[in-house]
Amino acid sequence: MNGNGSGQPNLDRVGRLALGVGVAALILCALEWRANPTQFFRSYLLGYMLWLAVALGSFGIVMLHHQVNGKWGYLLRRPLEAAAQTVWTLMVWLFIPFFFGLPRLYSWAQPATVAGEALPPFKSAYLSVPFWVGRTIGYFAAWVIFIYLLNRWSWRQDEQGDDDRRWLGKMKKLSAAGLVLYGFTVTFAVVDWIMSLEPQFFSTIYGMIYIVLPALAAMALATIVVRLLARYDPVSNVITPLDFNDFGNLLLVFVMLWAYLSFDQFLIIWAGNLQDEIPWYTSRAAGGWGAVALVLVLFHFAVPFVLLLSRDVKRRMTALSAVAALLLVMTWVDLFWLIVPAFHPAVPSLHWMDIVAPIGIGGLWVWRFTSQLKQRPFLPLHDPRFEGVYGHGE
Amino acid sequence: MPVGIEPQDLELAPGHNYGTVTDKISDIVLKEGTGKWWKAGFAVAIALLIVFHYGVVLLMTYGVGVWGVNIPVAWGFAITNFVWWIGIGHAGTLISAFLLLMRQRWRTSINRFAEAMTIFAVACAGMFPLLHLGRPWLFYWLFPYPDTMGTWPQFRSPLVWDVFAVSTYLTVSILFWYLGLIPDFGTMRDKAKSRAVKIVYGILSWGWRGSAIHWERYEMAGLLLAGISTPLVVSVHTVVSFDFTIAIVPGWHSTIFPPYFVAGAIYSGFAMVLTLAIPLRRWYHLEDFVTLKHLDNMAKLMLATGMIVTYAYVMETFMAFYSGNPYDRYMMLNRFFGPYAAVFWTLIGCNLIAPQALWFRRVRRSPWLLFVDALIIQTGMWLERFVIIVLSLHRDYLPSAWGMYYPTKVDWEVFLGTIGLFLTLFYLFVRLLPMISMSELRHLVHKTQAEEVKA
Repeated sequence: MNGNGSGQPNLDRVGRLALGVGVAALILCALEWRANPTQFFRSYLLGYMLWLAVALGSFGIVMLHHQVNGKWGYLLRRPLEAAAQTVWTLMVWLFIPFFFGLPRLYSWAQPATVAGEALPPFKSAYLSVPFWVGRTIGYFAAWVIFIYLLNRWSWRQDEQGDDDRRWLGKMKKLSAAGLVLYGFTVTFAVVDWIMSLEPQFFSTIYGMIYIVLPALAAMALATIVVRLLARYDPVSNVITPLDFNDFGNLLLVFVMLWAYLSFDQFLIIWAGNLQDEIPWYTSRAAGGWGAVALVLVLFHFAVPFVLLLSRDVKRRMTALSAVAALLLVMTWVDLFWLIVPAFHPAVPSLHWMDIVAPIGIGGLWVWRFTSQLKQRPFLPLHDPRFEGVYGHGE
Repeated sequence: MPVGIEPQDLELAPGHNYGTVTDKISDIVLKEGTGKWWKAGFAVAIALLIVFHYGVVLLMTYGVGVWGVNIPVAWGFAITNFVWWIGIGHAGTLISAFLLLMRQRWRTSINRFAEAMTIFAVACAGMFPLLHLGRPWLFYWLFPYPDTMGTWPQFRSPLVWDVFAVSTYLTVSILFWYLGLIPDFGTMRDKAKSRAVKIVYGILSWGWRGSAIHWERYEMAGLLLAGISTPLVVSVHTVVSFDFTIAIVPGWHSTIFPPYFVAGAIYSGFAMVLTLAIPLRRWYHLEDFVTLKHLDNMAKLMLATGMIVTYAYVMETFMAFYSGNPYDRYMMLNRFFGPYAAVFWTLIGCNLIAPQALWFRRVRRSPWLLFVDALIIQTGMWLERFVIIVLSLHRDYLPSAWGMYYPTKVDWEVFLGTIGLFLTLFYLFVRLLPMISMSELRHLVHKTQAEEVKA
């Protein structure tokens, strides 16, 4: 489009900078670990979940694209693939510290004498440390295999000749199965990692909210990345305001889905007012946490919703990227609201590490992301669905 | 739009021009008359419709006691049928509105009869809450209007939300359907030979002349109605799910119900579209317009929504045990091993196992296999509503208040009767109106020709 077309983004420099910031932030947190280990793990969980959401959401959207096609996915695919890859190049390793802090995070991981009232039989068996660790390994194994294969085949597609549908067919088939796997693994993972912070609480829609939340975060990040890449070859030759319109519509769909699912859960639990469920909302929807909830209603739904209805916003790359950035920040607020009341049910409590730990993990994440992004062309080379698009402009 | 369409992926068989598509569709109504398939089917439909009237007369005469409903199961077949029918309608709206906004071209040749299906299904659905009122002639009490009794509906009850959701849905669906028909009514008027027929279609076409300004307004109105209808795909069945979830009955009070009901509705709706489309394309030789590509796409959507329904079953079961709530756990065990276990396992077979066949392209592209699978899925979706309603009510918190529900003859008569009502309306639709949108098909001809030229 309007790009000057010359030169390439200096991803090395961005990556080095991010790595520096990330390491510095994590060193700060590590120093605090000695003094306040419980808070360290809580903040680390928040930061970890934020960036895992972006990585997993990217994985989900890549698979969705392989099912429904569409030029939007052609433009987003490389950033999304690079983001998904961080699951096995980074996030797996960053999960390891949790194994040293389970009793600090989860009351069910404490000895029965400390935890107080005993859990019902099924739950105490399900939330036992060995079973939990086993399931966690299972989730990562499944994600790593699928993400590895999808990336590998996508790169094979770059090397193949024109009109060869073999790799595309493989990716399509794997994605169909992968979407089913994605739904189930993400659900059970968040039940294990987040819902079980409050072992009394349960909600059948919970997993579905977390299927959408990462997709929204990933779509927001990918929009920003493509906006930055749109200044350079080859994206600048191909991209049009209409493509940003498509990105905006996808963001709109995810925003609406998030709001719909979250509201369903709230209305049903509020109307039922049962003692098993309602404490989850009495802490989150009243008092100081209620103010945070209001921020979410306004800036994770209402404001982006209205902005994304406007064609003017969607077709202006910078305006849309600003909305996407807002949504990314709101993902952090949302996770803060979902996770932290488990530890501080009465009043919101923001520890400095709740901000520094996400920055630290984010720094490492961006470093891995940029180094993966630059390994391949920014657009897939021989996708038979888009042979007409690349090289000819639109 | 994906570039590089394969030959077997055509939405319209090659070799058609504006004239052939218009003739093919309009001749079914104007020239071919009533065929033997139509007559046979219509006879069956009318017979079932008579059964419906018979059941309703008994119901009016003696009251809802002729149904098997009682305490504790006060919602039996009636609400099961209501949810089933209204769910079926959703695929029509999804095809006509959502797929339009998504610029999915394959909707073109199936949207007309899918929308008709929606309206007729909502009509059938509407029968049940009305009849279940006991005194259906007082139905208007459900609307909030200032009256001398000084009463208002209970706005906190989702049953009242249903009244608004469903009546809005019916209104918008009829408007959307009718709007799409206007250019085709114009065509019918112009092609009709008999003066009486010309006058009827002429009145229905509202003076359509096909001028540029007509088309512009038509397109704009269609887009606006699509925008209004799309949320309705979600909202109606969401509200229907609130009928259950807002209560605290085990098996009803489950947060996943709204998305699960919406997915289930679309699931059964596509099953119904396939059930109608496969015989229609065969009897009226419409294979050029409703191609294997259409069947394949609908089967894929059925599989996707079926997997969401499967996900919901898994979540319900898992949470029933994970929650540690003894009532939720018992509700699930009662489904597995209780007196209605056979119904539950049949449902699992129909809704979870049968759709797995759709992973195979060969099944998705064999019309009759698909037809059978669609019928199985519709059965499964009906059983699902039965399981949700009856199995939750018949054994809730107090064992002393447990009971069984058995449908009576009148239950079956009214249920089968609405199938008759649906089929009667549908046969009349097929006979009297163009069942595929001619104007949109001509548009598709234009587009595919342009693509051929480009290639």
